[in-house]
Amino acid sequence: MSPKRQLDSELGVMRSPRGEASVPAWDGARRGGDRELQTVLDRLTGGVSERPDAPDGWVTAVRVLQARSAAFAPCPAGLNDRLRGVFKARGIEQFYTHQTAAVEHALGRRNVVVTTPTASGKTLCYNAPVLSTILGDPAARALYLFPTKALAQDQLAELHALADALSDDESPIGVFTYDGDTPQDARRAIRGRAHIVLSNPDMLHSGILPHHPRWAKLFENLRYVVIDELHAYRGVFGSHLTNVLRRLRRICRHYGSNPAFICSSATIANPRELAESLVEEPFELVSENGAPRGEKAFLFINPPVVNQQLGIRRSYLSEARRISGEFLKRGLQLIVFAQSRLSTEILTTYLKDDFEGPPGTREQIRGYRGGYLPKRRREIERGLREGAVRAVVSTSALELGIDVGALDVCVMAGYPGTIAATWQRAGRAGRRQGRSAAVLVASSAPIDQFVVRHPAYFFEASPERALIDADNLHILVDHVKCAAFELPFATAEAYGRKDVQEVLRILAESGLVHCTGSADAAPQTDDEGVWQWTSESYPADAVSLRAVSSDNFVVVDLTRGAEVIGETSFSSGPATLHEKAIYLVEGTLYQVERLDFEARKAFVRRSDCDYYTDAITHTKVTVLDTFDRGGGPGEPSIVPASAYVARTAANAGETRAHGEVHVSSRVVGFKKIKFYTNENVGSGELDLPEQEMHTTAYWLTVPRSVMAALPYAPDDRRDGVVGLSFAMRQVAQLLLMCDRQDIGISLGAGQHAEDTDLHRGACGGGSWIEGQAPGRGLDSELSDEPSVFIYDNCPGGIGFSEPLFRMHVELLTRTRALIASCACERGCPTCVGPVGNTGPLAKVAALRILDEIAAQSMNQVGAA
Amino acid sequence: MNLADRLRAVVRPGDPAGLARPSEVPGLSGVADATAIQARADGAADVLGGEWRTARGASGASGASGLSAPAGSSASADSSGRLATRPRHVVIDRHYPAGHRFGRTALADCLPNDDGLWPRAGLLLSGDGARDALRGRLLFFDLETTGLGGGAGVYAFLVGCGWFDGATFRTRQYFLSNYAAERGLLQDVADTMAAFGALVTYNGKSFDLPLIDTRFLFHRVSGSHGSLAHLDLLHTARRLWRPPVPVSSSAGAGERPAAVPCRLTHVEETVLGHVRQGDVPGAEIPSRYFHYVRTGDVRQLEAVLEHNRLDLLALAMLTATAANLLEQGAGGARTAREALGLGRLFDRAGMGAEARACYARAAGVVPAGARFADADALTCAEALRALAVLCRRERRHPEAAEAWRGVLGLRHCPPRIAQQASEALAVHHEHRLGDLSAARHFAMHAIRFPGSHSRVRAARHRLARLDRKLGVVSVPPAPLF
Repeated sequence: MSPKRQLDSELGVMRSPRGEASVPAWDGARRGGDRELQTVLDRLTGGVSERPDAPDGWVTAVRVLQARSAAFAPCPAGLNDRLRGVFKARGIEQFYTHQTAAVEHALGRRNVVVTTPTASGKTLCYNAPVLSTILGDPAARALYLFPTKALAQDQLAELHALADALSDDESPIGVFTYDGDTPQDARRAIRGRAHIVLSNPDMLHSGILPHHPRWAKLFENLRYVVIDELHAYRGVFGSHLTNVLRRLRRICRHYGSNPAFICSSATIANPRELAESLVEEPFELVSENGAPRGEKAFLFINPPVVNQQLGIRRSYLSEARRISGEFLKRGLQLIVFAQSRLSTEILTTYLKDDFEGPPGTREQIRGYRGGYLPKRRREIERGLREGAVRAVVSTSALELGIDVGALDVCVMAGYPGTIAATWQRAGRAGRRQGRSAAVLVASSAPIDQFVVRHPAYFFEASPERALIDADNLHILVDHVKCAAFELPFATAEAYGRKDVQEVLRILAESGLVHCTGSADAAPQTDDEGVWQWTSESYPADAVSLRAVSSDNFVVVDLTRGAEVIGETSFSSGPATLHEKAIYLVEGTLYQVERLDFEARKAFVRRSDCDYYTDAITHTKVTVLDTFDRGGGPGEPSIVPASAYVARTAANAGETRAHGEVHVSSRVVGFKKIKFYTNENVGSGELDLPEQEMHTTAYWLTVPRSVMAALPYAPDDRRDGVVGLSFAMRQVAQLLLMCDRQDIGISLGAGQHAEDTDLHRGACGGGSWIEGQAPGRGLDSELSDEPSVFIYDNCPGGIGFSEPLFRMHVELLTRTRALIASCACERGCPTCVGPVGNTGPLAKVAALRILDEIAAQSMNQVGAA
Repeated sequence: MNLADRLRAVVRPGDPAGLARPSEVPGLSGVADATAIQARADGAADVLGGEWRTARGASGASGASGLSAPAGSSASADSSGRLATRPRHVVIDRHYPAGHRFGRTALADCLPNDDGLWPRAGLLLSGDGARDALRGRLLFFDLETTGLGGGAGVYAFLVGCGWFDGATFRTRQYFLSNYAAERGLLQDVADTMAAFGALVTYNGKSFDLPLIDTRFLFHRVSGSHGSLAHLDLLHTARRLWRPPVPVSSSAGAGERPAAVPCRLTHVEETVLGHVRQGDVPGAEIPSRYFHYVRTGDVRQLEAVLEHNRLDLLALAMLTATAANLLEQGAGGARTAREALGLGRLFDRAGMGAEARACYARAAGVVPAGARFADADALTCAEALRALAVLCRRERRHPEAAEAWRGVLGLRHCPPRIAQQASEALAVHHEHRLGDLSAARHFAMHAIRFPGSHSRVRAARHRLARLDRKLGVVSVPPAPLF
């Protein structure tokens, strides 16, 4: 029996005699949808609808979120009567409580942030006050910002319908999108006629603000700025947005307007804090949701352990494939979220193999990720809404509110990394009525295992805080340039929290700005000069809000002529598009024939092989500047006090530091990994240019005395440090509540770290059990005083290292708890890494290191 | 590292912190030597040979009304400079007498009529009713700017204006000697514009006018410039004087030849015979201005001002040349492309007879044998096609057919034009002459060329119909796919 056949039978996939599994016809299935859903849930859970958490079991949690009926409130006070009439005509006679509250805040010109789950009528929260204001004053203008062009398009139709119903010939209400796709000849008309401009931060940044004189009418009369999907602006993107909004408000001041902000956000822990740090103004919060909700079942599934000693579980991708199959077989429409582009493609391939009809028939299984061309994406979204597409496998790209209709089931292959993102993804299944289900399949990554074994953490804890650092110097400097281009800075002007005058002085050193005194510009006072932009460049062009570099690689398919089939960001280009790499698009395999690094092009050709590739990255960290080390107590720990905590907390400062580092990484090779079996079937070496960045890092230095005190051979000591770093990374991710690609890890000696493949970047496929040994590429012995670096994976840093420095004690305490409580014998992917990679003594050595650090700190305190 | 050093590492990642010594770069040390810079900048008017001027209303300067006043009198109120308490800019006036020669062309040959216009200059404007839109005197207009990209941070540091004043050509340049003076400068420019009927620019439609418009909007200076007619001579120059497409790039089958740039200096050389000596490369211009801003040293800008004046002069003389050509009609053309371009200008204006004469001249049809040296197959084919299309519109069908036959008689005729000719002749013979076999001959000819799907289908359809009428049971050429 072929491996594939064997797997199929094991997974219980039904196959027709021709070899294709079949998806039942959709017709009529809708009526029985609830029953079919129950059948699958019964199969998965053994017939128990809700049962106590069973952390060691296969299904570790089943929760049923009860249906809830609507909570209504009176129509918002002050809402325009005509608008009220139009709402009534459209069947909206009552308002949900959160809608009334939000609209009243906005009409009162107070900034407001609304947290709303999917399908709770959030658009009314901003459309109502905006339209009401325009009806009262036809000169009023509003600007809507969506994180993507597609979301703006999505909103346009609804807003158009409302505006048309309210317009008359004398005073039409203009609603237009203005983004990179807007034709040049339409732009002038839009600038003149739009009451409401639907755009995105990128366009505001590079297409609107630098040309503000042409938008004078908008800026003079700007009453509202609407920011939808606020939670999308975390990390770098958020820091950029804050600066774009600073520039926006600066321009508004110039034109004498002072808009109120209306923001909507998915459920996160600190929506008000996020809104206030993005906009830098006080906000009102509306978080009580009055919308009705259908019943939803939530399942946690932990793939069974197949090798107790090695702690290896069955591949979560195979498990996700099996579960998706159960739903698909019963005609339920589903969305599958995978963790990375690679695993998205792998899962798409698997499901297509299982369910796709013969070539030429309609594609019922589709993949979806950033990097697909917009036309393909629109086609998939439409297919989902219309029901022709039965399952879509997506990266986080579909997490935001793109309208894909009401799906029945959401399967998450791997924990999305944050509580907020998990709820957001689960929300893609189920709307206001009817039953739906969400299934989380845990991978063996420690954070997944933690969540799946402690369901209460997920179901009861509050979602994450979104962090941004608007004063990241790289980001700040870029936007100060843009702002200086837009309007000269006064020498007394402030911008953000850092000293902008210092920034301008440094820019002046490079000749980008020049301070012109007031000698010729009396009657101002002596120290009232202005900083004039004195460069012929257009600074906004050099700044991309999405990534640190606006560069990207395009993928050109040479199979038939030359056709662009995708693109990828500059930073992930080398890892995914190196020569001989397998590039996947919706399960179709292409092999990279040539990567033209200079021209940023990868030439690929269709390939028919049974493996994919995973790049090996070599990372080197050098300390540039230490901001803080040792001294100062850590933040009071919130974990239950234990002897370990007490001793460590006494003087843990000796080992921790944070500061600025230089990280250089290079793709040095790749592995070929077979589909389904995940066998490593070959490898290759590569010679690609290095990518460099300055960023911030936290690091733990294991003192010489601790290393010396370890009763192991040097190799085993090193394994201990490698294992420790592996576990620390996972705990850091949990503590920081960040995405896994937001931080990187490297280890080395003192001020210098060098490592291979500890940080696996964008390629987190299902294969890492067989993965390259973390740290094994490091042949040079770790010195007798090694350091573990956890760095912000973004130039300039996003602000993670300072909190980590403060949470040092908690980080070590939790790391110790993670390793000590793991049931494996000598290490597994859930604690210190798979034993084959880290060595037989990694687990005990790592624990010993933590204990020695604690003990020595204690002794020092005693001695002092 | 302190904040300044960390910022330096961000702004100039290549330089190790501290390596760059600001003081070594003139003018980069910020506010410290502002007084010295100011002192040097106070000499700008003298070095550039202009006068200081403050904003409108500040000193009673005569503004726009003093267009032909002797240089100096208008800005005398504060020529002492230091006394000025308002931002001031520099105005530089020059004049060129009728005897001034520009290459092989004399200014005297380019003078407009007494009303400041050339009789047929209106034909240079595109759009319906354009011929009448050109009223009042022409203002030749050209900017030097701090960048090419557009946006609020790009300044027009030099606004060049030129006009004919009797037999003299005058230029007036507004120099932004201080950013703070921009508003006043723009008010002056707006006043100047108000005295004219139309603007003439070179590539102004996409560059100069949007840019000055942004500056006006920035300072909310309202002016009449929006209502002025605008003649962008670049479009005329492309029609009449665009350099020929290099052979290598025209050889690419099926692809449109890359647009050949039609730079003012090139046209100036070929049409007026004027070769500039030591002209400032355009790319250097912004940095020369920034040097002045940082140091107050204006000397490098003299050449930029001269460059701008030459642009204005060339613009005026090329406009005159084009207007004169229009007046002379086909007989005035010196090259085939010029004749073709003239024909199109007449064609657009609905002057059929003049247009036909020009097209025929370009193709070397009339008088027979008198061909221009540059009349290559492409130019001839385009001229004949234009002639045929025009004749058909005027219902001069025999002449149209004659022109189409001329196309087919050309050697190396571009296939798409030959195909069009064959189709037109097939139609002509079938429907007007009733000569079905000749029509079939041309239809067969047309079908040989590759074409779009719908075009091929129409051709097959025609062939089938002709065969039906002829009673021939034909086997159309086997499809290739």
